[in-house]
Amino acid sequence: MRWLRGALRTDWLGLAAVVVLGGAALAAVRPEFLTPYNIDVILVGFCLTVVYALGQGIIIAIGHMNLALGATGCLVAVAFGGAMQVWGLPVWLAVLFGLLIGTFCGFVNGWLTHKSGLTSFIITLATLSIFKGVSLGITQAQPFYGIPESVKAFGSDRWGALPEMLLVALPIVIAVALFLGRMIPGRQMLAYGGNPNAAELSGISRARMVILAHTLSGVLAAVAGMMSVARLQIATPTIGDEWLIASFAAPVIGGAVLSGGHLSVIGTCLGVLIVSLINQALVMLAVDPFYVQVLLGLLILGAVVLNRLREARLGTAPVLRLS
Amino acid sequence: MNDLSVTDGALVAVRDVSKAFVGVQALDGVNLSVERGQIHALLGENGAGKSTLIKILTGVHRPDSGTVLLNGTARHFRTPREAIAAGIGVVHQERNLITRFSVAENITLEDPPTRFGLFDEAAAVTATRRWLDLLHLDTDPRTPVSRLSVAQIQLVEIAKALSLESRFLLLDEPTSSLTPHETGTLFSVLRRLAADGVSILFVSHKLEEVFDLCTHVTVLRDGRNACESRPLAGMTRADVVRLMIGRDEVAFAAPAIGARFGPPALELRGVATALGHRDIALQAHRGEILGLYGLVGAGRSELARAIIGAAKVTAGEVLIDGVAVKIRDVTEAVRRFGIGYVSEDRKAEGLILEHDVAANISATIWHRLRGFLGFVSDRMQNAVAAPFVRSLDIRTPSLAQRVGNLSGGNQQKVSVAKWLAAGSRILIVDEPTVGIDIRSKAYLHDLILSLAREGAAVIVISSDMPELVALADRIAVMKDFRIVDTFDNARNYTAASQRIMRAIHG
Repeated sequence: MRWLRGALRTDWLGLAAVVVLGGAALAAVRPEFLTPYNIDVILVGFCLTVVYALGQGIIIAIGHMNLALGATGCLVAVAFGGAMQVWGLPVWLAVLFGLLIGTFCGFVNGWLTHKSGLTSFIITLATLSIFKGVSLGITQAQPFYGIPESVKAFGSDRWGALPEMLLVALPIVIAVALFLGRMIPGRQMLAYGGNPNAAELSGISRARMVILAHTLSGVLAAVAGMMSVARLQIATPTIGDEWLIASFAAPVIGGAVLSGGHLSVIGTCLGVLIVSLINQALVMLAVDPFYVQVLLGLLILGAVVLNRLREARLGTAPVLRLS
Repeated sequence: MNDLSVTDGALVAVRDVSKAFVGVQALDGVNLSVERGQIHALLGENGAGKSTLIKILTGVHRPDSGTVLLNGTARHFRTPREAIAAGIGVVHQERNLITRFSVAENITLEDPPTRFGLFDEAAAVTATRRWLDLLHLDTDPRTPVSRLSVAQIQLVEIAKALSLESRFLLLDEPTSSLTPHETGTLFSVLRRLAADGVSILFVSHKLEEVFDLCTHVTVLRDGRNACESRPLAGMTRADVVRLMIGRDEVAFAAPAIGARFGPPALELRGVATALGHRDIALQAHRGEILGLYGLVGAGRSELARAIIGAAKVTAGEVLIDGVAVKIRDVTEAVRRFGIGYVSEDRKAEGLILEHDVAANISATIWHRLRGFLGFVSDRMQNAVAAPFVRSLDIRTPSLAQRVGNLSGGNQQKVSVAKWLAAGSRILIVDEPTVGIDIRSKAYLHDLILSLAREGAAVIVISSDMPELVALADRIAVMKDFRIVDTFDNARNYTAASQRIMRAIHG
């Protein structure tokens, strides 16, 4: 019974139930939900979304936010495409180049946030505009079409019923979970997010934590950007435009606290599934797609309120804020 | 790696340390030396400079002049990390644990054990148990800190400081949440450590603990040494209290007007609050200044918050002009019941620093100023603000000046003015003169006095005992979220301060 009690205390069991029951309900009403094609669409979407959702989640864990996540992904995507089409770089070198750019973008966000003492909101709002502007300038708003076959194959190949992109997404999920759960820098990041002053008095460097978190976020944005190229088969400067809401929604639905200190990786994965389940449901039930966003917004609000209540019950958050 | 190893003589010494914050000389040529194996008390009233000294020793602040010596070598800590690395273990007054993390992970946060590069929980648990056992704390090290009681949390903080095995331990009010039994256990651990040569600097408001535990004492008063590293043997409690509060003069004394006050404008009967107050009985009459004294953490500002509806009253009655009322939120307190609260934290809660003088003063009555289509014009705001700027002698180049550019004293006048503009009949002023120069201080005292004499009920919350004794008609003393004594203040400093000290220190 101990495992059951332990499981009940986790913040993801309820979400898992929502995914299973929601999926079953949808399958009962609309049997086409369970067609192989449809499951494939959900899985491919999952691979991509979970990577950038974790990219945001890592930032949320230290109580910051990265509005430039999508713009970073976009810049990396076009640089990746351009490097291969225009410069004729081999794929592996182009991937390295993309990762380098993502790392740099994230580092800049973290460094500026630390040095300026401003909130990450305003810093990443500025870099969002800069990264996006550079992407549009490079491409003149035109996609790069010259994507090598091997990259395209990675986006479209299936391994049995599973998309090959899982080969990237799954290790990333495991790595982030291990990083935050067991590795010292990850634990230090969560400690910093939970109580910056206490962390600092325990010898944890504020500068290191902020820069590290933003840099990792940039790396994950880069991976997601290049995965988007593989999936779309082109490197278009619209990549990343739609990441923002889902990148916040998935971690928050998964139990992350926006003020920092907590991120559930399993919860984030389930959050991604719930978001895509809702998208599916609304499409299949023929709801006006424009209203999908409304529901997503409501879902975020609901999740935030729910987290807040749970925190108050655990006594980890002040019910009333005193000076 | 540890600088605090061998040699005899003072392990930690502070030489001629001074530190000023904008407008306030917090420390002025302070000395302190703690020998090896000594348990040394650091005492002083609120505002005497203890916390500044502690922050300098722990690398949070840097001194303007003077030096900190460890083992005879001058050290300049730039960050708390450097102080920790130099072997200074600290239990801070405020809680510093990561509540979502386990006890074991919190205690090993400085230097977590690892296996294959991953956090090794089993090793952390083993390492932690030793320190918990030492303090007789029977808690599973895997428990998240958020599930612990306040006393357990404090013991974990202490265990964390002990686990660094520092040669110098600084404990700032370590027993505030502990039972006498837990305190006894802690003291026997500290005595054992001292016997092993660890030096301990012990900060506490509980004098009985100081006499029980410590051998030497340094007292600070107004940022200076009232005594330096004196042996406690031969000193009495009264001697120490005299060193803490002794002053030759009282700068200002409000003329007493006897007990002829109007009816209570505000009365609390058996009030309990969600913040932890119990059985609060308090009366503030029209025309009267009620002083509320207490040490930091006694619950004074929190009580003010409950009165203005920012925290929940869970039991008892609040009466305004003799009628029981329920104040649901701050807006209601301000608009309906005429209660004004001048926050102790001017910058965070009292004023909007980015806004100009006129906007700050008139903010409380915007809802009344609102004219055509709900617009508030500059002209309307200026008409409200101008008389107060004149009558309170607020030194500002214009009504359009940013409040953030004014001096501390003038900022405080603006935050009082906004409640005057609101027509508050009950005014709660929290630490009115902290961080304010002497001239403005005298002016604010006059202002508070004349407000009261014109018929307002004024509650002054202050940690500055001379100020309170000079100003208040009656004094209520708070301790641990209760009122422990209330008495008419005859403005005799010695008598009043002794009565207050007795009420607080038992």
